[in-house]
Amino acid sequence: MAAITVKQLTKRYGDKLAVDHIDFALREGEFLAMVGPSGCGKTTSLRMIAGLEPVTAGEIRFGERLVNDIRPRARNVAMVFQDYAVFPHLTVFENIAYGLRARGAPRSVIAERVPAAAKTFQIDPLLGRKPRQLSGGERQRVALARAYVRDAEVYLYDEPLSNLDAQLRHAAREDILALHQQKGRPSLYVTHDQSEAMALGDRIAVMRAGRIEQLDTGSALYERPYNLFVAQFIGTPGINLFDVRLRVEGEQIWADATVFRLRLPDEVQIKVRAQVGQTVKLGIRPEDFHVPKRAPFPVSDENTVHGIVSVIEPAATGCAAYLSTVREPSQDFAATFKLRLPATYLGKEIPLAVDTRRVHLFDPATEQSLLTR
Amino acid sequence: MTQITLHHITKSYDGQNAALHDINLTIADGETVSVVGPSGCGKSTLLKIVAGLEFPEQGQIFYNGHDVTEIKPQARGVGMVFQDYALYPTRRGEGNLAYFFEVHQRSAAEEQARIKATADLMGVDFAWLLGRTPDTLSGGQQQRVAIARCIVRDPNLFLMDEPIVNLDAKLRERTRMEIKKLLRQFAITTLYVTHDQQEAIFMGDRIAVMRRGRIEQIGTFDELYYTPANLFVATFIGAPPISVLPATLENGQLTLANTTWPLPAELGDRLPVGAVRVGVRPEGWRLDAPTGAALTVRHIERIPTQQAAFIHGTLAGSAVTALAPLDYPTVHTLAVAPLWENALFFAAEGEAILHTPGTPDLF
Repeated sequence: MAAITVKQLTKRYGDKLAVDHIDFALREGEFLAMVGPSGCGKTTSLRMIAGLEPVTAGEIRFGERLVNDIRPRARNVAMVFQDYAVFPHLTVFENIAYGLRARGAPRSVIAERVPAAAKTFQIDPLLGRKPRQLSGGERQRVALARAYVRDAEVYLYDEPLSNLDAQLRHAAREDILALHQQKGRPSLYVTHDQSEAMALGDRIAVMRAGRIEQLDTGSALYERPYNLFVAQFIGTPGINLFDVRLRVEGEQIWADATVFRLRLPDEVQIKVRAQVGQTVKLGIRPEDFHVPKRAPFPVSDENTVHGIVSVIEPAATGCAAYLSTVREPSQDFAATFKLRLPATYLGKEIPLAVDTRRVHLFDPATEQSLLTR
Repeated sequence: MTQITLHHITKSYDGQNAALHDINLTIADGETVSVVGPSGCGKSTLLKIVAGLEFPEQGQIFYNGHDVTEIKPQARGVGMVFQDYALYPTRRGEGNLAYFFEVHQRSAAEEQARIKATADLMGVDFAWLLGRTPDTLSGGQQQRVAIARCIVRDPNLFLMDEPIVNLDAKLRERTRMEIKKLLRQFAITTLYVTHDQQEAIFMGDRIAVMRRGRIEQIGTFDELYYTPANLFVATFIGAPPISVLPATLENGQLTLANTTWPLPAELGDRLPVGAVRVGVRPEGWRLDAPTGAALTVRHIERIPTQQAAFIHGTLAGSAVTALAPLDYPTVHTLAVAPLWENALFFAAEGEAILHTPGTPDLF
């Protein structure tokens, strides 16, 4: 049985549907990330589950228990906020102890758990300080420790890392996973940052305009997006899209983008026979471009695209290159490599081999994938 | 066509603690230099001094060799873009661009010609933005108008202070590319301030890393990454960050935890005997090494979007992150060894660097 079940959950503000009949279930011990652009309804959904926002329609159940009309405190949820929500007039110790005291925990439990939690998040030397004497990263760890001392039924996170520097964010992700693994309770994590969702979530719900577009594991979202929105939202640099006409030539189906053309592999051809002659959207992930000499598949002019390198961005895993197609109409695209492309390639034309087994095709009208579902 | 030189700039607000301490920096004509550092490092103060919004206690600022230290901001010909866009809310996009020409009583013909030239350069859909008031535009669109408002004035210099920090992640990715292309196209000398190292790397031809009022190092990404000036720069640049582990050197051998490795001779000869710290970046580990030390795995972070995984764990009490293939098996421990040609060496105490690998030769 699911730990949390949400059925047809809806929130209406006036005539605007902020959350539009969404369904999902969180398994026991699962970490579910909700991700989407600002205004997609992810935070509103989280706040309804926390009890901070009344439900317009639908059901929220913790186990069997319907919690729609139960006050936040009685739901036994622990929540971590973007702005940390630490009390400025209380010391770190009292901030961490606050949830326990509010629920009448015995003094011995507080004396034991608060220092232990502070040690877990490496803020034990700061227990006597006030929040204004702390950095942003330290405040966030106070907020995490405050959730950690609780024995909550559900852990909820509302963009807890967005106010932190890049370097601190990496460490804080580890802190959140440590908290989750220790507690083993269902967790719901809201963010606008897909890389954070991918790093943390066992599964990820991608939201747009109040609806869940797809709920899946990170790799399924990436490899088999249902639609154009999910394909574009997941992955950075984003998926490259080209308008292509599907043409038959020599009994093979080609994707013809005028600036280049690719022969589609047999397993893709089978799925798009009905679309031959039409213009569709071709999606190529940045890492599916390969330096020809190092491509893990045979390279020919049937799967090669030429581009002029305009920017090279180094990354721990190699680099991202931003290019534009050689022929007019010139179009920008991004490619990522496992090696660091030297700066000497800036402004130069290079050939790139496309792994056509991994391309995506979308219907331009419905935006649905022609290859998945 | 502007080259900017900062010469021994010092600034303190309270007369004691230096907000900026002996800053020397030259930005070449058309170059973008990003300034990055933790909050409070002085990067915004530096930007204000270049703009003329603050004045240094010591030192001089030169634009093309002319001392502008005492020149007012309006006379410096600087275009500034801030994180909150600061558009005139009641004016449409076009009115925002026109404002400068009205205030300076330039001719209507010049105004129209400049706006048209700028709009053409800003791209196909920019004309649409010119007809809208700021409240009907997204953050990214407002920022484009703000940038165009700078370009239309034909500035000597662009100053950007966290211009995309308020956009959500996906929009930020797109907008930073647009800004980068515009900077390329116009080849305007630019100082770009951010707290985000990835953004600094992306935007800057060179990157200045600041801490506590000082520039710790300035250089291209490769220089900062492969030849950092000290431990601070080594840990600040690179995400996930470098792992730093205490070790002992003796007889050309390095002992880390309970494992001893022979060092390549040219490396062993160069390093002092005794206690050191070895720095290993995530891609600098050999996994499942026959003579490896035991890495206790805490968590394997799999990133399908990068077709890679990071193994987070501890090695003899130090935190370690190692890059692995996406499908690396879920294990509790594995044997790892540093790739010595990529390793950095630091003194046992303090921040001094003993050895850096230099930029690798890939081809």
